Amino acid sequence: MRLIQWASLGLISLVAADSNLTLESRNILPSTFKPPQHFQNVNLVRNINLEKNYVRETVNVVIENVGKEAQSEYFLPFEPGTIARIGGLEARDKKDPEKGGFVAEVAVTDEQSSTQFYKITLPTPLQPKGQLTLSISYWTLASLNPLPAQIGQTDKQYVLYTFSAYAPSAYLTQKQKTKLKLPTTDVPDAVTLPKSLNTEGKEDPQKQGTSFTYGPYSEIEAGALQEVSVRYEFTKPLTHSKLLERDVEVSHWGGNVAFEERHWLTNRAASLKNHFSRVAYQQSAYYNPPMAALKELRFPLAIGSEDPYFIDDIGNVSTSRFRTNMREANLELKPRYPVFGGWNYSFRVGWNGDLSGYVRRLKTGSDGFVLKVPFLDGPKQVEGIEYERVVTRVILPEGAINVHFETTIPLISNTTSLHRTFMDTLGRTTLELTAINVVDELRDRELVVMYDYPFSARFRKPLTIFGGILLVFVVSWVVGNLDVSIGSKVKAA
Amino acid sequence: MSATPLHDLWEASASQPFQPTFSKDSQFQIGFTLLFIGLLLTGLFGLNNTLKNVPLYGVPASLAFG
Repeated sequence: MRLIQWASLGLISLVAADSNLTLESRNILPSTFKPPQHFQNVNLVRNINLEKNYVRETVNVVIENVGKEAQSEYFLPFEPGTIARIGGLEARDKKDPEKGGFVAEVAVTDEQSSTQFYKITLPTPLQPKGQLTLSISYWTLASLNPLPAQIGQTDKQYVLYTFSAYAPSAYLTQKQKTKLKLPTTDVPDAVTLPKSLNTEGKEDPQKQGTSFTYGPYSEIEAGALQEVSVRYEFTKPLTHSKLLERDVEVSHWGGNVAFEERHWLTNRAASLKNHFSRVAYQQSAYYNPPMAALKELRFPLAIGSEDPYFIDDIGNVSTSRFRTNMREANLELKPRYPVFGGWNYSFRVGWNGDLSGYVRRLKTGSDGFVLKVPFLDGPKQVEGIEYERVVTRVILPEGAINVHFETTIPLISNTTSLHRTFMDTLGRTTLELTAINVVDELRDRELVVMYDYPFSARFRKPLTIFGGILLVFVVSWVVGNLDVSIGSKVKAA
Repeated sequence: MSATPLHDLWEASASQPFQPTFSKDSQFQIGFTLLFIGLLLTGLFGLNNTLKNVPLYGVPASLAFG
């Protein structure tokens, strides 16, 4: 069993190294695919938020159907290699946000080197000459790179972000603008564009405090790119989780729900120029300057959580605090060592919760239950955390059937299987959900699971043990009454 | 029918939180008592190992262990 686990973990890391793309559910398009030019972007405003260690882009665009027939498929292009790092892509009607998100799915061409697309399907086709304001938002993971790539232990860190001043689009864009929101005013380098490109004749970027603006630009052809980059101070860890495995184990007899998270973290920040100096590190601990090393992780848990643990490959890590009262349950962890750029740290944390806060009995039928848990907890950091891959397992009691789930996190796979552990007869019903390119802003998203847990299943385990022990009694009686004496048989009196 | 049927189900059953058969505080006492009864009956059965005593001691002991 352990071997299989190792093998599968190896496989996962191999696949992850290759790129997340290999596991995407995808619509394959021919390599010569060009999105039909049915649409035109009338006005496009792109906001790029660089305040966290992942990049959040929000594109608000007024689209117009310039074709002759009603259209419902809008394509969003991505550079080769970036689509595997895009997460949480959501598209909605800006004028009607209540209506919920549109269907957005990956539609890739079979050739890895060409431009890849996301396909956004409008719920109602847009009539010719009709206009619609789309609001598209997504995260790009691992897109900030430290420059210089090596710094001293207490130096400031600068990161480089490269992007296109023209918003990537598969359609002609009449008017557009890109706004950057930086975390600081310390920006040593920003690529400037000549005045001739700008519609208003200004030199780009136009700076205003911590926000930079490229544009407006008019009449930009489909697929046109203008590469620019900014380099700015970001003396914070670029915490990147290669894999997060999360278990939620439900016990009806115990009235308990047990959470466990296994993290494989790495820091993408600039690596150390010299050896790590413990003296310098201890000295800096007194005035606590900003640092590119990951020093602390904070888990705000659900109120009422108890019995937390924090262990790594060596064993229990004693540098943790658990503050719990009526209003909060905060788990504050310090890794065994400060995680500098290029260093890794893997650990597991776990805690228990009262089942009555997570499971409710359904009104219809006595055996139906509904469970609501966060899809992921994970640390909540000021600078953010990005997850390449999150595997959440919900381990239901033995004999749970008719499992249905619902979550707003885009998933790439879901399977229902059996998880066998101590004293199990058949194995526990397990729902395994996988998501890729998740960030810590999604930690409030819920996972709702509905299942039936019949009365008979509840007593299966006690009855099995009863049967087994009764057998022991019977056997002991049989064995105890065997006549194994040597010599002639003595008639019982 | 809204877009989140399961979430609605969750809200609809707000008045019925899960009530465990035994609360977490009493788990140890119940477990200990049952095991103790089980061990005691096993001991008695061991002292007087007869067919009659299989149902007399064995069945309740097994139930207690289970």
